[in-house]
Amino acid sequence: MKGITKGLAHTLRNMSKKKMSYQYPDEPVPMPDRFRGIQKFYPEKCIVCNQCVNICPTDCIQLTGKKHPDPDRKGRIIETYDINFEICILCDLCTEVCPTEAIVMTNNFELADYSRDELFKDLQWLDENDTNVREEN
Amino acid sequence: MEMNLENIKVEDQEELQRNVFFITLEQLKSWARSNSLWPVQFGLACCAIEMMGVGASHYDLDRFGSIFRSSPRHSDCMIVSGTVTKKMAPIIRKLYDQMPEPKWVIAMGSCATAGGPYIRSYSVVKGVDQIVPVDVYIPGCPPNPAALIYGINKLQEKIRYEAKTGKRVTNK
Repeated sequence: MKGITKGLAHTLRNMSKKKMSYQYPDEPVPMPDRFRGIQKFYPEKCIVCNQCVNICPTDCIQLTGKKHPDPDRKGRIIETYDINFEICILCDLCTEVCPTEAIVMTNNFELADYSRDELFKDLQWLDENDTNVREEN
Repeated sequence: MEMNLENIKVEDQEELQRNVFFITLEQLKSWARSNSLWPVQFGLACCAIEMMGVGASHYDLDRFGSIFRSSPRHSDCMIVSGTVTKKMAPIIRKLYDQMPEPKWVIAMGSCATAGGPYIRSYSVVKGVDQIVPVDVYIPGCPPNPAALIYGINKLQEKIRYEAKTGKRVTNK
């Protein structure tokens, strides 16, 4: 009997306190600014230097470039850019090494899917992924 | 027994639809199943730490009716959290076979999805779907607890969708 009263007293004391758990699916979880979610890619900024491909520890980035359509201008522009998100380990090295900040991290983490094919992200997907882009990169 | 629904008046039919909740047995079963997904309590690598975080009070997986069970015979969902080595693979298969039907599998993290950083390794299975059929893949290394909750909600959606339409989710 004493035990029940003690337990109930504890429960009643905690009832008025602020809730501990995040109400996650109803409210978004606040993420810190250094959080590493899926990448956002800016095709117009990319100079096809291949540094992200070289540094990627799991070789999950593939890209191809082509010559600039304007013959007077030097350099190359991006043609395809794919991240195989199945094996991306979100190490942030591609965004660190990028000289023009063409690839940045976002805070998006809701990526679960029913098929592995959906996890292969192409240029268009990465370009449209423009929500919650990390401020400090 | 056959019910004659033609002779019901329109007003009565409206009254019926307001007060009687029609549902197929499959949908009722899927509603019950999706709200009591009990995962097997086992972890393979660092993703298991995040899985423990989901079970703890900040993220509180019990809100969704998912309670970790110690025995595969009590549970109907398996969260493969971590690297599946070739030595561990037969044990996972055995755990899966011990689970009663219906059963679902969530591949959590890059390692369980495709091998992750060990994709060039000689001793790691490249994706747990080579051993057991996987329903939901959660990428990330490791996925944070909210991402795992999202994956579990996605699995609940899948169970309800498949019961409602009779179609598989992947070929919509």
